[in-house]
Amino acid sequence: MSKVGVFVCHCGTNIAAAVDVVRACEAAKSMPGVVHAAEYKYMCSEPGQQMILDAIKEYGLKRIVIASCSPRMHETTFRKMLKKSGVNEYLIEIANIREQVAWVHDDKEKATEKAIDLIRMAVAKVCRDEPLKSQMIPITKRALVIGGGIAGIQAALDIADAGHEVTLVEREPSIGGRMVMLDKTFPTLDCSACISTPKMVDVSAHPNIRLLAYSEVAKVEGYIGNFTVTIRQKARYVNHDICTGCGACSEKCPAKVPSAFNKGLSKRPAIYTLFPQAVPAKPVIDKDSCIKLKSGKCGVCEKICPLGCINYEDEDMEFTEDFGAIVTATGYQTADWAQMYDEYGAGRFPDVIDGLTFERLVNASGPTEGHIVRPSDGTEPKTISIIKCVGSRDPKKGRAYCSRACCMYAAKHARQIFGKIEGVRVFIFYIDVRTPGKGYEEFYDKTREDGAIYVRGRVSRIYKEGDTLICQAEDSLLGKQVRVKSDLVILETAMEPAEGSASVAGMLGAAVDGDGWLTEAHPKLRPVETQVGGVFLAGVCQGPKDIPDTVSQASAAAAKVIGLLNKNEMESSPMIASVEADKCSGCSACEAICPYKAITMGEQPGREAGGNSKKVMRPIAVVNAGLCQGCGACTVACRTGAIDLLGYRNRQILEEVDALWV
Amino acid sequence: MNYTEKTKLIQTRAAALLEAGEVSYVLGWGATRFADKTRARFARSPEEAATLVYNEHCTQSLAKYLVDDRWPETRIAILARGCESRAINRMIRDNQIRRENLLILGLPCEGTDAERCRSCRAHDPVVYDELLWEPNSTGAAAAAELSRYYRADAVDALSAAEKKAYWDDVYARCIRCYACRNACPVCSCRECFVDMHRTGFQGKRHSATDNQTFGVTRAFHVGDRCIECGECERACPMGLPILAQTQKILKEIEALAGDYEQGLDAAQDNYLGAFDLDDKDDFM
Ligand SMILES: Cc1cc2nc3c(=O)[nH]c(=O)nc-3n(C[C@H](O)[C@H](O)[C@H](O)COP(=O)(O)OP(=O)(O)OC[C@H]3O[C@@H](n4cnc5c(N)ncnc54)[C@H](O)[C@@H]3O)c2cc1C
Ligand code: SF4
Ligand code: SF4
Repeated sequence: MSKVGVFVCHCGTNIAAAVDVVRACEAAKSMPGVVHAAEYKYMCSEPGQQMILDAIKEYGLKRIVIASCSPRMHETTFRKMLKKSGVNEYLIEIANIREQVAWVHDDKEKATEKAIDLIRMAVAKVCRDEPLKSQMIPITKRALVIGGGIAGIQAALDIADAGHEVTLVEREPSIGGRMVMLDKTFPTLDCSACISTPKMVDVSAHPNIRLLAYSEVAKVEGYIGNFTVTIRQKARYVNHDICTGCGACSEKCPAKVPSAFNKGLSKRPAIYTLFPQAVPAKPVIDKDSCIKLKSGKCGVCEKICPLGCINYEDEDMEFTEDFGAIVTATGYQTADWAQMYDEYGAGRFPDVIDGLTFERLVNASGPTEGHIVRPSDGTEPKTISIIKCVGSRDPKKGRAYCSRACCMYAAKHARQIFGKIEGVRVFIFYIDVRTPGKGYEEFYDKTREDGAIYVRGRVSRIYKEGDTLICQAEDSLLGKQVRVKSDLVILETAMEPAEGSASVAGMLGAAVDGDGWLTEAHPKLRPVETQVGGVFLAGVCQGPKDIPDTVSQASAAAAKVIGLLNKNEMESSPMIASVEADKCSGCSACEAICPYKAITMGEQPGREAGGNSKKVMRPIAVVNAGLCQGCGACTVACRTGAIDLLGYRNRQILEEVDALWV
Repeated sequence: MNYTEKTKLIQTRAAALLEAGEVSYVLGWGATRFADKTRARFARSPEEAATLVYNEHCTQSLAKYLVDDRWPETRIAILARGCESRAINRMIRDNQIRRENLLILGLPCEGTDAERCRSCRAHDPVVYDELLWEPNSTGAAAAAELSRYYRADAVDALSAAEKKAYWDDVYARCIRCYACRNACPVCSCRECFVDMHRTGFQGKRHSATDNQTFGVTRAFHVGDRCIECGECERACPMGLPILAQTQKILKEIEALAGDYEQGLDAAQDNYLGAFDLDDKDDFM
């Protein structure tokens, strides 16, 4: 017989108040296979665990059922405990009588019956459990960071400082992300470039960091500790090994296109660096605007370059690198408001701009050298309206979520305006003002003291009257329609996942939520991990946040990576799919359904019925223990049940279900 | 070209292949003692090639026999119409047979006297090495007389209570002989669930519930891979409308995903059984 011990936990009064634990324990004693049952106030405590260990010795228990809280809480605790006892740590089942019983039922009588049912099911399953053993998998001690915004920069520096090699992949010609576009940052109003460019320089100078700008991840294979990543470096047409970044080429290049970095407020040449302090500080040729590459004429930069760096024949380059851990830090883009808000002119009014454009406008190193002027006529605006939540908190037209930084940078924008234009009036249209951060409420107070007029209401329409723009809204505090004549309107637009982040997530096998943000493994307890082992999250790619939160999260992700890379090898979970080769027909149904690409079709020698018992090499499914996450999708796809989940075999689960009908 | 001429062409080509030793046998049809019935014939010599026949009574699809000879020493020649060819693609996709082991003699088909042929949308073979005669001028998806989902449509037209009565009746008559499974070209498990004992979910008894469990499970195992050849119904000695089930699944898939037909090439993924990041999940 199985020699099962059942231990029922009171969880203080958490369980005991709603479930008759003594009765449940008594009931367990007569369940098939059970030789001992006991209850205790806190099973997870030292004395609780000791009690179980003693019982294992005394009664020769071979399998354990613990009726307590969710296995998510303490399954690992009890597994560790079992390791000490010599009983295989997978011969244990947790009956969740707290979250699934005590916390959700009022009727103690019925709750107790349900608890007993759950215990009986756990006993039935544990009798069918098999001892499992984990494997050790080696770890490549290098990290990949995807995205070189402030999140990626911080994560890369922290990991590199801990002594591990890091490759930082950024798709733009320079790292820096959105932060380097900003002028000043709330709540301290320190200059954004002054605090971010030193970090960028640190990245380029760090002996442990390999910076790959103008590059993208093309393919990810492998699993935690053992990723093989294909990186595509886009053709730069400039030999960066020789280039000194003198900039002569950019000065002479005759092609001029709107600068995306300056949000179209200025033009840039076809051979360009993103901004003066760019890292790497060497130009690339944008092949879509280069005259030479498009039509074969020109060639000015080649003539002008004193070092002969220009190579019009340059091509995209692909190479692979191995990594043990990956941090995604792909950040965000701002919503395309013109597509969503026809009532704001849909881009027809040049003096309706978004917040990021304003950052460039007010930035001393920006196209107007920091003079706030109207894009339409270059005059200084006297009245400015700021509209918050454009595309955020608007499930009908935009996104349902709050973009979290806009309340604060709207206030910041008002303060920047007051600092630059004498006698200016600033109206801020808002739904709520949210300032939950250190020094944030004070910052908001000061903004109002400085004279910003907060109007509570969503602007319903912007229209033109002569030269001025009229913002029409219902002031919901006054209960009146208001019209504000404005020379300039700033829309604080929603943050959205960066274009292409879903494809990065796809390559990594990581999940994204309905809005496209990468999903953390647990919103509270595992906020920087993904469901995919070895893949971590930093910054806005996980959800809107400001710089302080971005940087903290990046350091947290780095800490996880460092913890992983400090080990030489790691234990893999044995609760993975396993193929019964004799049954497998090699149909590859499991291969197609596995979301983690953990299954490949291998070959195995065997005698083939229907083939005159010839000995042949026939295809069978092979599960990669490192990649398999134990999700079980394959076990459902396999018609013949050749592939089964260790620890959750079909017959183990059926046994559990059957135990309900006694 | 009439059937006599077509039969002649088949016999001549088969004899030549066997003569040259290019294939170990030619899989086709032969006569039976009933004038309106044919059966599969394995012609292993030029003499046997002369016994092959081809006419409107060749209602059996031959492809399933290929899984009985997964590892042939020499190539096998098979006569393949639209349905055989789609089955071959599907069996290649399922890793059950290998293309290089086959010499596919394509037969553009004009339908047999089986009812299901009147709903066929792929009369011409979709994969072959050589065609024995000109393809149909209307192309592979010749205008069909019956709707693609004719059986499922009929059941869909019933009320819920009528449907229940309908299926209760079907499974009261099912004798669980598994002929449908044996005939189906996509049933290729080494051990079929119906042959397992003590699965915990499928009983061996002849009872309404167990019969229905069998029926529904079979339908889903075939489901998104069904090539619509109707072999299941042809094989069923009780004349049960089994095709209604897989037709229904395909009909639903088409409603969800748009055009969906199996066996048109050998690399096609199953709609229900493949993971894709862009999978529909608006129900979650
Ligand atoms: C108008 C405005 C004003 C703001 N003002 C403030 C402020 O004053 N204070 C504050 O705290 N916060 C402010 N924020 C928020 C701040 O911008 C963000 O918190 C911060 O920039 C997030 O950094 P990140 O690294 O996560 O993302 P990003 O800065 O977006 O960086 C992501 C990087 O990844 C790269 N990338 C994306 N996809 C890929 C890919 N597939 N492969 C390779 N690389 C990729 C991008 O090119 C980019 O360089 C403001 C935001 C806006 C819109
Ligand atoms: S259990 Fe999930 S992750 Fe593991 S092989 Fe099966 S489908 Fe893939
Ligand atoms: S689904 Fe089952 S039979 Fe098919 S390859 Fe996978 S394990 Fe083998």
